[in-house]
Amino acid sequence: MRPVFQVTTDRDSAPWWERTGRGEFAVQRCDACGRARLPARAFCPACRTERWHWEAAEPEGTVESWIVNHQAFGAGGGEPYVVVMVRPAAVPDCLLHGGWRAAREPVGGERVRGVFTPGAGGLTLVDWEPAGE
Amino acid sequence: MAKRLLDFRDRTAVAGVGYTPFTKDSGVSTLTLACRAVLSALDDAGLGPGDVDGLATHRVGDSAPPTLVGPALGIRDLSWHLDQFGGGSVSHAVVGQAALAVAAGVAETVVCYRAINARSEFRMGGTGRALPASPEVQYQAPYGLFAPPQQYAMYARAHMLKYGTTAEHFGRQAVTQRANAVKNPRALMRAPITLDDYLASRWIAEPFRLLDCCLETDGACALVVTTAERARDLRRPPVLVSAAAWGGGESHLSGGPADPTTTAAAALAPRLYGQAGLGPREVDVAQIYDCFTYSVIVQLEDYGFCPKGEGGPYVASGATALDGELPVNTHGGFLSEGYVHGMNHVAEAVSQLRGDAGDRQVPGAEVALSTAQPGYVLPATSALILRKD
Ligand SMILES: [Zn+2]
Repeated sequence: MRPVFQVTTDRDSAPWWERTGRGEFAVQRCDACGRARLPARAFCPACRTERWHWEAAEPEGTVESWIVNHQAFGAGGGEPYVVVMVRPAAVPDCLLHGGWRAAREPVGGERVRGVFTPGAGGLTLVDWEPAGE
Repeated sequence: MAKRLLDFRDRTAVAGVGYTPFTKDSGVSTLTLACRAVLSALDDAGLGPGDVDGLATHRVGDSAPPTLVGPALGIRDLSWHLDQFGGGSVSHAVVGQAALAVAAGVAETVVCYRAINARSEFRMGGTGRALPASPEVQYQAPYGLFAPPQQYAMYARAHMLKYGTTAEHFGRQAVTQRANAVKNPRALMRAPITLDDYLASRWIAEPFRLLDCCLETDGACALVVTTAERARDLRRPPVLVSAAAWGGGESHLSGGPADPTTTAAAALAPRLYGQAGLGPREVDVAQIYDCFTYSVIVQLEDYGFCPKGEGGPYVASGATALDGELPVNTHGGFLSEGYVHGMNHVAEAVSQLRGDAGDRQVPGAEVALSTAQPGYVLPATSALILRKD
């Protein structure tokens, strides 16, 4: 089991976490150049403008990497658990981390789907499972 | 974009190095460790606290700043000081900035130091300490990902998947560095290891085993930076600062390359070599930031010692051993000497170029590369090229 950590959201991220709480995987879409971005922040890194809107996206991606954690780095983290690094299809120049929801280990490059999971402090986390299994 | 602000190459020098012993429990404060290392480096150079007009360090809220170390040593008029936030990625930036300050004439004699109780007080491995307060933590920690070995293991696996890098490749570098530490009286880990020992060591975060990970060390290391001209009149042979460069890194924010297998060192390297007027083939010895075995392999590629993706086979060929074409981490590195967050890499490079590295001396070493954490985790990196006078 992964350890339990309560983290602080911020003024950029709070609306994103609100949306995961409703089961929505949202990306920010730049109003000027149309580029999607994650995680949440005010400026588009491509055109440096501040106007954007939230857009619901499919929680889909591919496995870029993963670890199987063994060392108990935090309280409650005694048993091995898997953390994946996912490249979301909606924002392919972003790498997101998440828990792994399958009995087997991931495979490099495999297609995965987001799973909304209750976390500490009322936060809804996005874990990942194999797509189409 | 060619920028040329001042004549920098070989204008400054490292005139002295100093250490405290490396231990698992120093029993003293980081202020005490810093003062001891600073005095030791000054003594090595044949100078005293009265000669110092600059102090520089980096820290992550875990150590004594120049504004405390100066007064503690009776140095009250610092004409330049630097208290840089950051870990290993800015370690070499601190020395580079000190050299720039000296080259610009803002200070004449700067002591750079790093003092940490990274085992007995603030564990670098992240075991049991509070989470850092930074926005990216919220996207990692809730999933049980927050300690450097976990973060680096994620990048290491991406490299394995893309390029076929193997556990044996990681292990060969660990074994090579331990063999160097055996010859280093300062090193914490001096019992030789084999590849089988490496493979049998326990999992930390797959694909990393215990012997992929650097030590957590209490200790301090310091360097005296002054003008090349002045250094030539001091006790030790000067080691010239040929180049200092800074770079970016792998960010969790979209909009960058999002390639976990190539580090910011790839973009930094041409600036660094260009400034020194040489290339990787001219480098005789390299101290490469080894928080983990993988960080050596990826930087060997990104600093141009082998083609991209071939860092693993390059290590397995024996190239990085003491008798190889590019001896790497000749002191044993953070894996086996001790982890003073980067400063001890620069100090070992200085030793090699002065020719006083004892049993682990690389014969005829004239040019050394020393590198910082290559821009994972904290998206910044830095590096130095040093040269025999
Ligand atoms: Zn835009």
